[in-house]
Amino acid sequence: MNKTVNINLAGIFFHIDEDAYLKLQRYLEAIKRSFTDSQGRSEIIADIEARISELFNERVQNNKQVIRIKEVDEVISIMGQPEDYLVDDEIFEDEPQPSYKRKTVPSKKLFRDTDNSYVGGVSSGLAHYFGIDAIWIRLAWILLIFGAGTGILLYILLWVLVPEAKTTAEKIMMTGEPVNISNIEKKIKDGFENVTDVAKNVTDSVGAAAKNVSDSVSNAAKNVDFQKQGNKIKSSSKTFFDTLGEIIMFFFKLFAKFIGVILIIVGAITLIALIVTLFSLGIVDFIHIPGLDLVDIVNAGNTPVWLVSLFVLFTVGIPFFFVFYLGLKILINNLKSIGNIAKFSLLGLWLIAMIGLVIIGIRQASEHTFDERIITKQELNITANDTLKIKMAENDLYISSHRRSNSFKVANNENGEKTIYRSDIRIIVKSTTDSLAKIGIEKSADGRNYEKAIERAKNINYNYSFSGHVLLLDSYLTTPSENKFSDQEIVIILYLPEGSVANFSNNTKSFLNYRTYNGNLVSSGDANHYLQITENGIKCLDCPIEEEENFKVNIDVHDDESSLKINSKGLEIKDDDVNIKINGEELSGKDDAIEVKIDSNGINIKSKDN
Amino acid sequence: MKIENTKAQMRKGVLEFCILSVLKDNDAYVAEILSTLKDAKLLVVEGTIYPLLTRLKNAGLLNYRWEESTSGPPRKYYGLTETGKLFLKELNTTWSELHHAVTIVTSQKTTKK
Repeated sequence: MNKTVNINLAGIFFHIDEDAYLKLQRYLEAIKRSFTDSQGRSEIIADIEARISELFNERVQNNKQVIRIKEVDEVISIMGQPEDYLVDDEIFEDEPQPSYKRKTVPSKKLFRDTDNSYVGGVSSGLAHYFGIDAIWIRLAWILLIFGAGTGILLYILLWVLVPEAKTTAEKIMMTGEPVNISNIEKKIKDGFENVTDVAKNVTDSVGAAAKNVSDSVSNAAKNVDFQKQGNKIKSSSKTFFDTLGEIIMFFFKLFAKFIGVILIIVGAITLIALIVTLFSLGIVDFIHIPGLDLVDIVNAGNTPVWLVSLFVLFTVGIPFFFVFYLGLKILINNLKSIGNIAKFSLLGLWLIAMIGLVIIGIRQASEHTFDERIITKQELNITANDTLKIKMAENDLYISSHRRSNSFKVANNENGEKTIYRSDIRIIVKSTTDSLAKIGIEKSADGRNYEKAIERAKNINYNYSFSGHVLLLDSYLTTPSENKFSDQEIVIILYLPEGSVANFSNNTKSFLNYRTYNGNLVSSGDANHYLQITENGIKCLDCPIEEEENFKVNIDVHDDESSLKINSKGLEIKDDDVNIKINGEELSGKDDAIEVKIDSNGINIKSKDN
Repeated sequence: MKIENTKAQMRKGVLEFCILSVLKDNDAYVAEILSTLKDAKLLVVEGTIYPLLTRLKNAGLLNYRWEESTSGPPRKYYGLTETGKLFLKELNTTWSELHHAVTIVTSQKTTKK
């Protein structure tokens, strides 16, 4: 009588004797170990399983028949020993690797040996790794704990970082024995000493993993763990430290997940905001929603807005995408990598977008490299004896509140054409010896080159009117919107003959300079007054003459007996016996003998001798 | 030096060429390739072929399609790609040269005897 196991091999169902099953399982595990992932291990194993399944299928007449160890042996002899799979590699490898060496000197890997552990199995794992007895490592730990506690820290670090040897293969690797079929078999047989337990384990693991054959077979081998009986002290210490370890790990994980969540939120919000903003901007540019084409006018370089949006999206979005991805990776342990191709193409895209933005920036800046101006002059019928009034004119469409400002505004003009308004207008006043006054209008604008700048300067519209000794200046300039914002400016230069009088109305204040300087006679403080132009400046005709309200000199010097005071009241000198006073009421001098006083009563001279 | 190793190496050296040759005219699934090779005594155990097929497929010389089977799991039908055909052509020339060379060398030996 024999116990049987149900297996799924490449999608086909088989009953198989337990001993035959174990043999097959070891066989597949050994084959699996003879390949690396780069060779396409899973595919090869799948193919082999499919073939074995086929061979079994040929050997069973009906589905009640059981695969016995005889069939497995037959199949293995047909398929070949694991060594037969291996040899192939060394012949066909394009660059023969010194893999012989690797075979003779098996690589040891550091694992935690939880089967022989007191705390976390770090010591016995290290002992396996260095090939010495675990007691020496443990003694070293105790010494290190006395060495300022570094031992504890290091132990915890190793506990967290070094993986536990869970599978048979890992346990073999830990001891440094080569992982081959005979070693695995030996190790598995060690673990099978307690047959009833293990049989249960096997059936459990098979049942649980029945979905995927290749996985279930290998997993079953991995899960067959050989538990060694530890003594009581050991097991109790182990459970305590295990629990402690679990708690610490739990908090570590919680903290990591928290950071992950923050990263995801930051990344996602930035990305969404960026996409929505730039997308809507791009759409607006595309379908030309009226009123929102300010962007187009700022854009002096005529770069397509959607292109700029795209570049900005990439330059800002890609780093945040990686932040998002990092957060996701922290949160989900076995997240599939986006792959190197994706990563590098994103990096490339980012670089391209950066370069694109720089180029656009340079283009935009180059639109302002040339600053050119054109000047038109006109005579005004103002002679030396005339008075000129200067006022700013208003416009309903562009309310600038009569303040000079260098901001741009876009509005439709009377004909419904889109027009740029700006009130960057300055008034400069100069004196001239000519008999007639003159007005000069200087228009200036930026451009990529001289011609462009001149053309834009020419396209500036600026109006003023002069009638009856009143000069009405527009408080704004206009230009068609296709000229873009290119720092359009107006400077008005008034040449006034000497002797003429100018009156700047209050609303010109902000258009005048703050200060006068050589070549500009009128500052904003001079508005609202009648100013006569003289040979070397201006003379204010109606400014109140400033009176000296306070007597500037205030001298008060004194000691116990004598004093000198000069202030707004007058002059007073005192000494022991001498007293001289000059003030609004009197003029007096006193002495021991004589007193002289001049006041409203007349002159009074007294002598004590008399 | 073991005679078995040399034998195995000799056989495996031409195995790639033979697999491609089997697939020259029509697609075949693994068992068919295997039976051809086994009939020709080129292959002793079947296991050897799987890593080879995967390698050839990864190199772009072979491709495959799945076909359902009435008796057993679905089968992988392998076929030559365009590069595979070119590859085979070159191997054919190399082989005939090699064959020629080996015949000359070995026949010389026998005449000297």
